[in-house]
Amino acid sequence: MNIIEINQLTKYYGKHRGIENVSFSVEEGEIFGFIGPNGAGKSTTIRTLLSLIYPTSGTATIFGKDCIKHGDEIRKEIGYLPSEVFYYENMKVIDVLKYSASFYENVDMSRIESLSKAMDLDLNKKIEDLSYGNKKKVGIVQGLLHEPKLIILDEPTSGLDPLMQQKFFDLILAENKKGATVLFSSHILTEVQKLCSRVAIIKEGQIIKVENINDMRNSSYKKIIVESQEDSIEKLFGFEGITNLTKTAEGVNFLFKGDINTIIEVLHKVKLQNILIEEPTLEEIFMHYYQKEA
Amino acid sequence: MNIILRELRANMKSLIIWSVAQMFIILAGMMKYVGFSESGVDINSMLEGYPEGIMKAFGISSVDITTVDGFYTVFFLYFMLLAAIHAVMFGAVIVSKEERDHSADFLFSKPVKRFKVIVSKFIAGVFNILVFNLVTLITSVVMIAQNNGGDGLLGQVTLLMIALFFIQLFFLTLGFLLGAILKTTKLATSAATGIVLGTFFLSILSDLSDKVTFLKYFTPFKAYNSVTVMFDQQMALPSTLVLITCSGIFIVLAYQRFYARDLNT
Repeated sequence: MNIIEINQLTKYYGKHRGIENVSFSVEEGEIFGFIGPNGAGKSTTIRTLLSLIYPTSGTATIFGKDCIKHGDEIRKEIGYLPSEVFYYENMKVIDVLKYSASFYENVDMSRIESLSKAMDLDLNKKIEDLSYGNKKKVGIVQGLLHEPKLIILDEPTSGLDPLMQQKFFDLILAENKKGATVLFSSHILTEVQKLCSRVAIIKEGQIIKVENINDMRNSSYKKIIVESQEDSIEKLFGFEGITNLTKTAEGVNFLFKGDINTIIEVLHKVKLQNILIEEPTLEEIFMHYYQKEA
Repeated sequence: MNIILRELRANMKSLIIWSVAQMFIILAGMMKYVGFSESGVDINSMLEGYPEGIMKAFGISSVDITTVDGFYTVFFLYFMLLAAIHAVMFGAVIVSKEERDHSADFLFSKPVKRFKVIVSKFIAGVFNILVFNLVTLITSVVMIAQNNGGDGLLGQVTLLMIALFFIQLFFLTLGFLLGAILKTTKLATSAATGIVLGTFFLSILSDLSDKVTFLKYFTPFKAYNSVTVMFDQQMALPSTLVLITCSGIFIVLAYQRFYARDLNT
């Protein structure tokens, strides 16, 4: 069963594009990644799902119900962590969490304690005294407090240190194991790869691709930078799997997808000054997608 | 209920400040009266020397201000002004502040209808203007009693306060409407203050010349004549009906605009 179904969803802010004809669906029990650079339309899509904003055209359903018509009903079972976390500045953390809980029925209040402990959050501080990362933790706790069936996370890890990120991922995985479906938006490919089973890629308001993460990993791109003084080195890399080949003063760089051994075979014949093999940035992958689709 | 309680708590401090300020104004005003009456100067003959326009602008024509009830009717103009500013600001801020404080994503991603949020905020608003009204009533009656041989004129002042309440309600709902229509709290409060001051000056202007008397139909500050309310114990029914109708229209429009609104992060 599909928990989220988005159909040709379009949102314009006046003349400004928000999203255009976005369609994808999220199945029950999966952790679905939603990636794209800043301003691509991730938050716009999510905020439409929560009926914080209204679509210009298209529809979206959650739990089989229309997002706008049955918004309040649907939101009973949603936990949402906004990308920018702001709460009532002069309230204490515990009061914000209790206020949050007061909107739901049958909340297990002991979860305030246990979740805060897991995230190392001080309940008695005032919101205005918290650092950005700690505000994010408040957001995480209030989003998970009522054990929602659908967890929507909009760039949840920004501001969290690596240890906290790990703890946060553990919490999400635990909720997922209990049956929660997760929509995870991010611009960091690696964290999406770590958690998600499928991923939708959005750029400039349009979904470029919905892909299985395993397929993506198998076909994952490497960015390779080769520094060498040998003449016309770029001619060595004219084979299948190489894209975005550019010659620089130091040598050559390109994206590679395929069996890494084929690259090594070529490289071991070359006198190298330096070599870097790294994960391409999302932007670079997008460039690739664009070239392919154009 | 949770939203109402939240708003009452959030506005408690400002309500206390407004109430204390109002108490001081009444106190200071009555002290002026005490100064008047004890000086033994014939105020009425002194005031006769002033041009009529100035007297009207300060609301002290057509009434004997050497008596405590006459003096008190002059107050009413300033009560209205303060109460109007309080009410309109309250309305404008309470509707738009979630977006100003970026807490809209928190509140409206909860399982609540926007209708419920607006109604809760409205109830909190009515509670706040009622408290402000009651503080004015109690302080007034106590202060009048001290200068009127123990008679606080409870009946007359209560009637004045009922009139004041309808004006407060008008401005509260107007504030809601401005908050719902305009994009930011800052715009909403600026427009709100502008409208209050504009209509207030309109009410003064309408007194100055017979040619512009018709202006009184365009300002809620002319809805009631405090002298008629005080001495004849009559509250103009048409004004009351117009104020209630306007308030009703404002709050419905405010809800409609707010419902259709794309919330800013």
